[in-house]
Amino acid sequence: MKTLEQKLRRRRFQGLFFILAFVIFVFPLQSQERYRRSPPFPEPLDELKLPKIESFSLSNGLRIAVARREGLPLISLQLVVMAGESHSPEKLPGLATFTATMLTKGSFELSSSRIEEIIESVGGNFSVSTFLDYSVFAFTFLEEYLDEALDVLSKMILVPIFPRREIDNEKRILFYELRRKGTDPEFAAHNQLFRILFHDHPYKKATYTEDFIRNISYKEILDFYNQHYLPNNAHLVLVGDLNLPTAVRKVSHYLNTWRNKEIERHFIPAPEPSEAKRICLVDLPGAEDSTIYIGNVVFPKKSQDFFPFIVLNQVLGGTTNSRLFMNLRESKGYAYFAFSEVELFKRSGVFLVKAKVRPEVVYLSVKESLKEIENIIKEEITNFEIEQAKSYLIGNFPLQVETFESFCSRITEAQAFALGNEFWNDYYKNIMLISSEKVFEVAQKYPLLTPVVIIVADKTKIMEHLSDFEEIEVYDSRGQLQYTQKKGVEE
Amino acid sequence: MMIRCNFRKHRICPTKVALIWSFFSLLMISSLQAQEQAELPFPVYHFQLRNGLQVILSEDNSLPIVSVVIAYNVGSIHEQQGKTGLAYLMENLMFQGSSNVSRMQHILYINRIGGTLNAATTEEKTIFFQTVPSNQLALVLWLESDRMKFLEIKDSNVERVKDSLVEEIQHRKTADPYLESSFIFDKLFYPSFAHNHPVIGTREDLRGITIEDIKSFYSTFYVPNNAVLCVVGNVKRRRAEELIRKYFESIPKGKDIPSPPPVESDQKKRGSYTHEDSIAPLPGFFLGYRFAPRHPGDFFSLSILNYILLRGKSSRLHKRLYKRERIVFDFNGGIEKRKDFAAFKLFVLCNNEIMVERSLRAILSEINRLKTAHVSDRELTKSKNMFKMDYVSQYATFLERALFLTDIYLTQGTLERLPAELNRYLGVSAIDIIGVINRYFISDNRIVLNIKIK
Repeated sequence: MKTLEQKLRRRRFQGLFFILAFVIFVFPLQSQERYRRSPPFPEPLDELKLPKIESFSLSNGLRIAVARREGLPLISLQLVVMAGESHSPEKLPGLATFTATMLTKGSFELSSSRIEEIIESVGGNFSVSTFLDYSVFAFTFLEEYLDEALDVLSKMILVPIFPRREIDNEKRILFYELRRKGTDPEFAAHNQLFRILFHDHPYKKATYTEDFIRNISYKEILDFYNQHYLPNNAHLVLVGDLNLPTAVRKVSHYLNTWRNKEIERHFIPAPEPSEAKRICLVDLPGAEDSTIYIGNVVFPKKSQDFFPFIVLNQVLGGTTNSRLFMNLRESKGYAYFAFSEVELFKRSGVFLVKAKVRPEVVYLSVKESLKEIENIIKEEITNFEIEQAKSYLIGNFPLQVETFESFCSRITEAQAFALGNEFWNDYYKNIMLISSEKVFEVAQKYPLLTPVVIIVADKTKIMEHLSDFEEIEVYDSRGQLQYTQKKGVEE
Repeated sequence: MMIRCNFRKHRICPTKVALIWSFFSLLMISSLQAQEQAELPFPVYHFQLRNGLQVILSEDNSLPIVSVVIAYNVGSIHEQQGKTGLAYLMENLMFQGSSNVSRMQHILYINRIGGTLNAATTEEKTIFFQTVPSNQLALVLWLESDRMKFLEIKDSNVERVKDSLVEEIQHRKTADPYLESSFIFDKLFYPSFAHNHPVIGTREDLRGITIEDIKSFYSTFYVPNNAVLCVVGNVKRRRAEELIRKYFESIPKGKDIPSPPPVESDQKKRGSYTHEDSIAPLPGFFLGYRFAPRHPGDFFSLSILNYILLRGKSSRLHKRLYKRERIVFDFNGGIEKRKDFAAFKLFVLCNNEIMVERSLRAILSEINRLKTAHVSDRELTKSKNMFKMDYVSQYATFLERALFLTDIYLTQGTLERLPAELNRYLGVSAIDIIGVINRYFISDNRIVLNIKIK
């Protein structure tokens, strides 16, 4: 045996010599420097030093945070009001979103088109977004117009009039927008996942459909506004070439007449995770492919598990080099894409896997995805993979805070979730500390193997491929349960 | 700003190199000072390697990342009849592996370290760009130099790329029912073949491109003397220059670059045309004015005019077409600049034929209104402020700044006019606006293509 092995080894060596000789003989013509043959080693990485965040509270309770950024003649401003979809009344989901949008549609002195014109005359971009826990009014403008920008913002926020014509117009726009979005399989899957995970929780309200829009009227908007749009329920974040004293002076000039009052706080409990695996089909007539969302409730944004978990997520499904993509797409050829992500909110968060696959491999794709999750829980991830995930997260983070707007959004998040002013600045340090053991530990903590599985597909095309599932709940595209189908039992 | 360096004779002795470096850093400081006077909000340092590669560096230590753009001065205008899509095919081939980097590994190398990358081909240029942690600059330069010097052009790769491009053409046609009519409009709008064929090419032409066509295209245009390399971010200028020389200086200079065909501006087609379309869901039209600006400053005025007419919700066309008359379903457009001429293009979709007619009349009446009455100060300031916001946003991120500088260099052949450029736009007056609209927005320059539903 031994001699044979030696022989083989020698032969292999000879082969290698032959190749080398050939290479040396053939390639001098196309000369190539040695250093071109392999990738260069990275140099030591510089520290991340984000601008310092300074904060101050006005006497009416409005909290101001400022970070100085230079190089562009702009200021990015975000007003955050803790009036998100979870604050909408039980019977009127969508009201938080609607109210926030209506604030830009007319104030005591200004019509909606005059507001648009003023925003544009300061070179501005203005947008409104409503999330589960809060709404954000984001405004980026030329720095020499800070006064004009604060003036128009204060008029929108402090003295809105919610004109009826604009309400009707906005209802129509939102109705068609929701109807259009409803045909998007990913939107439908995301909504259905949240609907089921948060079935008895205020976070469910974010999954409203266009049917709710018609119930909204002037009175509800006004009530919602009066209840939530208070300075002591808001943060103002500014990023640009300005300091805290200047910002405080200016903001105070325009917003100190904003009257505070006691906030009626409704305690929002932490939602419970799903404890048994559920398979749910959402019938979306006409859908060509199958969209899979697999998720469960994990932890809130402010949590010590945040850093280890995002490393875990990175290994599992953060990019095209991660396990899910490599398995479901590159190795098995089931999926167009397969990723995982973490969406975190004030009271809790959702960890989810999403994939778009060919209809005939839905069952196998769900199985493989769950197997990948199981691997993460059962076996410690190799150091190599952990380090690769960390280097991705570290390398990619600065790209997410590069513009004034995106940096401003990060500060907004830190303010709204009370993460502390150093949270993003310590990002590198905290990622670097994560070890394979730490990730393994956090993987055990959450019921990742009893998730809710959503499949969005055209029922007429998919049913034959779902027969291997034990039990399937079948929903229509608006999230109404139609029936439950058990294995081997006819519909 | 341009400093020519010949480094050959100093290579032997490291101490000498150090001395030379300090000499160069003096030069760099003086160039930096010149910059400061010119009031750019970031430093710019430009030099040329002896193989003709133009290098632009801009150091910024605010974040530990670096963006690298490499642009080749070649696009679809360099393509021959029957070979359309070659420039875009070449761009795609650049990801199919080179001597030391196997197929698609370029993407993997960049993704693995958290970086982002992409590439784009236009009528006039082909650009490759990436942003990575700043300690990985050498990796990007290694990757880019490898495919500039040793790209592997083999049948299997070419066929694979052709297949995916044919699929892409089909996909784009399905995704955009007006793509075909935009090609028809371009054929009417630009008389010369070089300018009027689509960048993505045609299926037939792509299939007909041979491996020899590709090799000759690569060896003619993908050479250092036809490229601009721009590095923006957290790297010391000296270190960046050292690495750039290491990876790029030994790449041999190519032959002289053939110039693209000029635009035949006098073979103008004007007037109104109709195209009956079988897949378009709504009727509409393309409207364009094409002209060669006579005064160098005209382009500044045209750019501001573009904002007055159609940028933003308070622009004239938006207010008239959407809010007042509610006659359009969708519209977009703007000023297009190619080397010797400029164009103003609009694409309008309406719910029915009557609305099409009314929209065209409304647009022409807005243009006529601008020919006689001065734009108010308030409106002019608003338009300029919106312009300024968009202009400065072009250098908001390292990558955007690198793309911006590369683009300026490619279109102007110098960066010297850049510091004063924004003020030239902001200096446009109401009289200038009246001037350009009367000079160029005339029926002799106008082409309309009506899209009718079959």
